[in-house]
Amino acid sequence: MKASTLKFILLFAAQLILWNYCNFSQYLIIVFLPAMLLCLPIDRGVIRVMILAFLLGLAADFFETGQLGLTSLALVPVAAIRRWVIQLVFGNELLARGEDLSFRRQGLAKFVTSILILTSVFLLIYLWVDSAGMYPLGFLALKYGISLLVSTVVSLAIAFLLLEESVAKWN
Amino acid sequence: MSGQKTSSFLVSAAIFLLLEVAALVLLHSRSTAQNIWFNRASHRTMAFLWGGGEALRTQFKMEELNEELQAENARLQERLRAYELREQAQEEQDHVAAGASSIYRYIPATVVKMSRNRVHNYIILNKGSEDGVQPQSGIISDRGVVGIVEAVDKHYAYGLTLMNPEMSVGARLGSSEQVAPLSWDGVGTARAVVRDLPPHYNNVPGDTVRTSGFSIFFPPDIPIGVTGDSRLVDGSTRQVDVLLFQDFSTLRYVTVVQNLARTEITALEAEGEGDR
Repeated sequence: MKASTLKFILLFAAQLILWNYCNFSQYLIIVFLPAMLLCLPIDRGVIRVMILAFLLGLAADFFETGQLGLTSLALVPVAAIRRWVIQLVFGNELLARGEDLSFRRQGLAKFVTSILILTSVFLLIYLWVDSAGMYPLGFLALKYGISLLVSTVVSLAIAFLLLEESVAKWN
Repeated sequence: MSGQKTSSFLVSAAIFLLLEVAALVLLHSRSTAQNIWFNRASHRTMAFLWGGGEALRTQFKMEELNEELQAENARLQERLRAYELREQAQEEQDHVAAGASSIYRYIPATVVKMSRNRVHNYIILNKGSEDGVQPQSGIISDRGVVGIVEAVDKHYAYGLTLMNPEMSVGARLGSSEQVAPLSWDGVGTARAVVRDLPPHYNNVPGDTVRTSGFSIFFPPDIPIGVTGDSRLVDGSTRQVDVLLFQDFSTLRYVTVVQNLARTEITALEAEGEGDR
């Protein structure tokens, strides 16, 4: 098994542990699955990433004993727009060359932007469907804002971990 | 190249939809809260779609609906008219029953036309000679004296109402048994005066005024009104104001009273006058 794959699985397990055991607040949900999807190799097609996102979501919900299908529902759109976000934030050149993402080459700001977009999409769907119309908008908006902020910071660290290899390669 | 891109996009979109639907189905079947929420959202969407469709369909059927409404309206009006006629007939019968007497014949009628704002006022009834109405018959209502039939046609009768200065009715005042002619005061539609009372007559305001029965037109003891103020006229007679029970402005149903002994009485009267 490739080290990157193992790292991916371990980080996914970390996400599950975080969701299961670390309940910080009603106003906070830490999610870095969108960042993990972002860090997949560039040449992965949209369909493959979407299917992977669906399966990851299912596994997450299954092991979290949560609402089966909820994470998939939020994560598949993230996978669907991943390529578009990369094109928008990192530029066409990266896609044309088939290069993997790199903190050193692309810079922190682009990562922050792309992770913000993808995480915000995930949280928007996840929190809206999870609330099932039972929570007031103010509560949801606050939870969304706090979660987006914290998740983006955590996701940056996760992305850094996932792309460590490529950093080393470009060094 | 472009076609390949399009088909690739379409496949991606289809798979995206498939995966999202699968996730929704899973969520719908496993979670009660989401299940309720989805159902509510589904019902709302369906209501919007079907409601919109129904509104659109109704809009196109507006002309047909209008015609149906018009037809229904006509049917209802017809039924209402039937009820009104039945009620009218019942009221006329009630008038008859209220004043039944052996030497009088009562014919119910409805006012067709009536004047109220002239000096000499008239009334036209919907019953004529074919219904047995004869001239010189009295016209009464459940609230008192109305007038006298002057002329009859086949289907209609023409009469003078009490609202004529020349017309007078023999009236009995309260329990005093005092009898005097009652006539219109020439002003209001529900006011009259009793004239030619003796100066010593002690008027009690509020006493009931009834027909005396001394005329050939009206049966006795038909309530006409109540007494009001009184005054001395020319120092020789007393005059009493009467507030009529029957307000002529609201008159609709009447009864024609025909004295069956009228011919005999008038003949006897003529004979007596001839002897003198």
